Amino acid sequence: MPRRGLERLDLLLLAIEALDLHGSEAMVWCCDQLGLSEQFPDRVSLWRSRCRNPLRVASRRGQLGTDEAQALITLVCTLAQRVYPLLRQLVSSREPAELTAQRWTLFRERFSDLVRERFNVRRGAVRQLLDDSEGEGLRRAIVESLLLSAGPGGAARLEASLRDAQR
Amino acid sequence: MTQFSSLFSLGGPAGAPLRLRFEQSSARLDLFGLPDVTRDPETAPEGGQRLGILTRWELAIGQQATLEGRLDHLQGLLEVVLTYVRRLISSSPRPCGSEGQRVEIEPHEGGHRLTVHSSQPDTPPLRLTLDSAELADLTQCLDQMLHDPRIGLPLAPPAARPLPRRDLPRTTPLPQRLLAPTAAAASLLLTAALASLVPLPRPATPGAPPATQGAPSTPAAPPR
Repeated sequence: MPRRGLERLDLLLLAIEALDLHGSEAMVWCCDQLGLSEQFPDRVSLWRSRCRNPLRVASRRGQLGTDEAQALITLVCTLAQRVYPLLRQLVSSREPAELTAQRWTLFRERFSDLVRERFNVRRGAVRQLLDDSEGEGLRRAIVESLLLSAGPGGAARLEASLRDAQR
Repeated sequence: MTQFSSLFSLGGPAGAPLRLRFEQSSARLDLFGLPDVTRDPETAPEGGQRLGILTRWELAIGQQATLEGRLDHLQGLLEVVLTYVRRLISSSPRPCGSEGQRVEIEPHEGGHRLTVHSSQPDTPPLRLTLDSAELADLTQCLDQMLHDPRIGLPLAPPAARPLPRRDLPRTTPLPQRLLAPTAAAASLLLTAALASLVPLPRPATPGAPPATQGAPSTPAAPPR
């Protein structure tokens, strides 16, 4: 998987954690439910796989294995289905504008806190994510990607997008 | 407010009209048709018959107009919407579907505009404006239909493939992108300019004595 794909995959999981306060617990539970215990027997192995993201402070060198990458994609799509109602509320134009703005503010705060805690803030890409104006479009793109990755055909779409050519 | 996926079918004995419904929040897709009675009943999906002949379908999105069509419209809708969604996941939305196709979708004022052309002559196309939530609901409905074992229709969804570099939006700023080719062109010009300053050896003129290297041109005075 290209470097950008690794970065996006980890950012999608981070967005799920920002949306769902019990997101990290849900990840471990989902791994058990989906039969991914071979790839991720515990939360440490899941954390190690996510640390392949080069934007992390504690980044690990090397490529993600095919099985591990596939398992992470399945995990993201399952969790996206779980938080689908929350994602939908964020991008729906039928919701009251004031309420939508408050939801985005809450999401931005949680997401930025997680990014500051785990990512290397000296990297340009991370600074872009934390920037109020530049980061807005990036955060929306992450939420839309999650929304469209939910459902029975979401995994194939997400996998193809993570393997896009390098920009 | 959000409903989770729900499917139900209304079907009677073999040969009776069959109806399948796929629902997700604001989108609802109904398929009407006849079961495929040529198949072995033992291979029929659990809990019902397989829809083999589609007579018509109806799609309702939010409070907007209901779309109706036949199999070729449904195939067009599948191809165009799923291709567009695939591009949208990569943050590279582009209009999908050409004038000749029955269905088109394109980005429109922060949302998405779905256009369906009628097969009846002199009927204006129907245009629906969807937000991202409604588009996601529609995608879920189409996904549910494609993955339902009760569907025996010859529908071919587009393959999800990685996008080539030319289809992806540029994220690197223009000065940064121009830096490498500019530096390459400048170094080439500099090398050429320096090379032009190096004197070339003169060609020997015919009839002139060959110059011997290291020999003085005038004889040296004898030593006293």
